[in-house]
Amino acid sequence: MKQLTTFLRKELLYTIRTGRLLILTILFILFGVMSPAIAKLTPWLMEMMSDSLAETGIMITEMEVNALTSWTQFYKNIPIALIVFILMFSNIMTQEYQRGTLILIVTKGMKHSAIVIAKGIVLCFLWTAGYWLAFAITYWYNAYFWNNSIASNIGFSAASFYLLGLWLLSLILLFSVVFTSYSNVLLASGGCFLTVYLLGLFPKLENYLPVKLLQCTNLLFEGSSRPDYYYAVGITLVLCVVNITASILAFNRRTRLKAASQ
Amino acid sequence: MDMLTLSHVSKAFGEHTVIDDLSFSVAEHSVFGFIGRNGAGKTTTINMILGLLRQDAGEIWVNQEPVHYGQTTTNRYVGYLPDVPEFYDFMTPKEYLSLCGDITGMQKAQKNNRITELLELVGLDGINKHIHGFSRGMKQRLGIAQALLNQPLLLICDEPTSALDPLGRKEFLDILSDARQYTTIIFSTHILSDVERICDEIALLNNGKIALCGTLDEIKGLHQGSCLEIVFDSDRDAAAFQGIFPATKQLSDVRLSFDKTTKTDMLHMMQYLAEHHIQIQRMELLEATLEELFMEVISE
Ligand SMILES: Nc1ncnc2c1ncn2[C@@H]1O[C@H](COP(=O)(O)OP(=O)(O)OP(=O)(O)O)[C@@H](O)[C@H]1O
Ligand SMILES: [Mg+2]
Repeated sequence: MKQLTTFLRKELLYTIRTGRLLILTILFILFGVMSPAIAKLTPWLMEMMSDSLAETGIMITEMEVNALTSWTQFYKNIPIALIVFILMFSNIMTQEYQRGTLILIVTKGMKHSAIVIAKGIVLCFLWTAGYWLAFAITYWYNAYFWNNSIASNIGFSAASFYLLGLWLLSLILLFSVVFTSYSNVLLASGGCFLTVYLLGLFPKLENYLPVKLLQCTNLLFEGSSRPDYYYAVGITLVLCVVNITASILAFNRRTRLKAASQ
Repeated sequence: MDMLTLSHVSKAFGEHTVIDDLSFSVAEHSVFGFIGRNGAGKTTTINMILGLLRQDAGEIWVNQEPVHYGQTTTNRYVGYLPDVPEFYDFMTPKEYLSLCGDITGMQKAQKNNRITELLELVGLDGINKHIHGFSRGMKQRLGIAQALLNQPLLLICDEPTSALDPLGRKEFLDILSDARQYTTIIFSTHILSDVERICDEIALLNNGKIALCGTLDEIKGLHQGSCLEIVFDSDRDAAAFQGIFPATKQLSDVRLSFDKTTKTDMLHMMQYLAEHHIQIQRMELLEATLEELFMEVISE
């Protein structure tokens, strides 16, 4: 336990001192502000352009903007934030292998499991804090400009995308234990996601795969039913647990803690 | 009691056998020099002792407990200084040592005292910048500090002096000499003058085996007879002396050199010189250096 908290402190110090925490905060604030801002600015932009568009013969009808427009924007943008997050943190393990910094730590008697768990907690914590920060900002602006009650299942759909992010991060953790290079971790995780995405194109499988959670925007509109998503949520949760357990087991067995390029 | 024992240890990387049926042990409180040229397998052996590498055959004991490949509990007795120590470079030396102390489960007060003491010992006290800007020598100093942090029973240093300047090297060897009060030291190197300075026992690794092993005196004694050099006052005396004791080499008119001379041979010669009133300027028994010994063993 002491080892875990010690290593957690080291990981947090790393995110702070290398400026990652600052970048993340800015990133997620930006993504929180962006969606309502775009929604708010759209009619105005349209008006600006309508004159020139009218000349080309396109007529613009009065556009109605509300909280739904902003929420739709949110789910269009937030995957980019997730990708940036993943690019920033996929080296969480591999850079330790590349530099060989774990050698001294492990020969001091550090438990392997404490290392993986600490890394997992840090990933989870940063994603949780960042994502819900962006969500809270968007929620607040939407309530301020419009009215959130127009959208249904706001919390559930937000949690769905959050869970999808957790699943991807658990994949990153697993592949970080297996591979020693950043690019392999990215390739393997990307490959996994793509495979699941393609499988999701089969209507029969669609409801049982994590990628279903990408459609969570639909939940905001009336007429879509939440139970359609329950299988995907359950299965994604199970997959997260499986990935994390597999990471711990695999890292317990891992003994080459320095990448080959000696 | 032996602090470290290796018994019939072998290790190959693919076809290439690096360690071949290696056995030796290191007694408690000794300083053990582990010598071998580049690629001899010193680092490989050390990694096996630390459980970082699995041996193909044989067994290793640290403080009478077997070493298991992977997360070995014997590492709690061990302080390790790698050839190129790598730290978290966003930390200051103090923070890093504190991290190490927490991992080993030291008490806070004891930890802080020990850190202050060690930073002073290695000359890094008052340096509050991040490890990022450290030179190799400074990293080596921090490396020895972290290795000594929890007063290990066995201190393993892999070529610790190669990154240090002459002064740093002397300081480092002094630190090791002090540390031997409470620890056993294994010290891999190819710098023989360091070995002569502090090691009690040495082992020379060659072709995956111990080619030479023993105390410094034993090893020097192995090489029976050293080279004797006599410088005469006149070339006539030198020539006459040659007639009685044929020299191996005549270095100049007045300088003769005799290979493989024992101390008894030397006494004989002195007696002859005294009896015949032959005056000389200088007579010197040149001991074989470790270097010569090793060259000899390796080239065999
Ligand atoms: N992971 C590895 N895979 C394949 N070969 C290896 C590996 N590690 C070491 N070797 C080989 O084993 C031999 C011994 O290497 P080792 O690093 O133990 O030598 P060393 O005595 O420490 O040398 P140096 O004085 O240069 O540090 C070398 O020939 C090296 O090429
Ligand atoms: Mg080496």
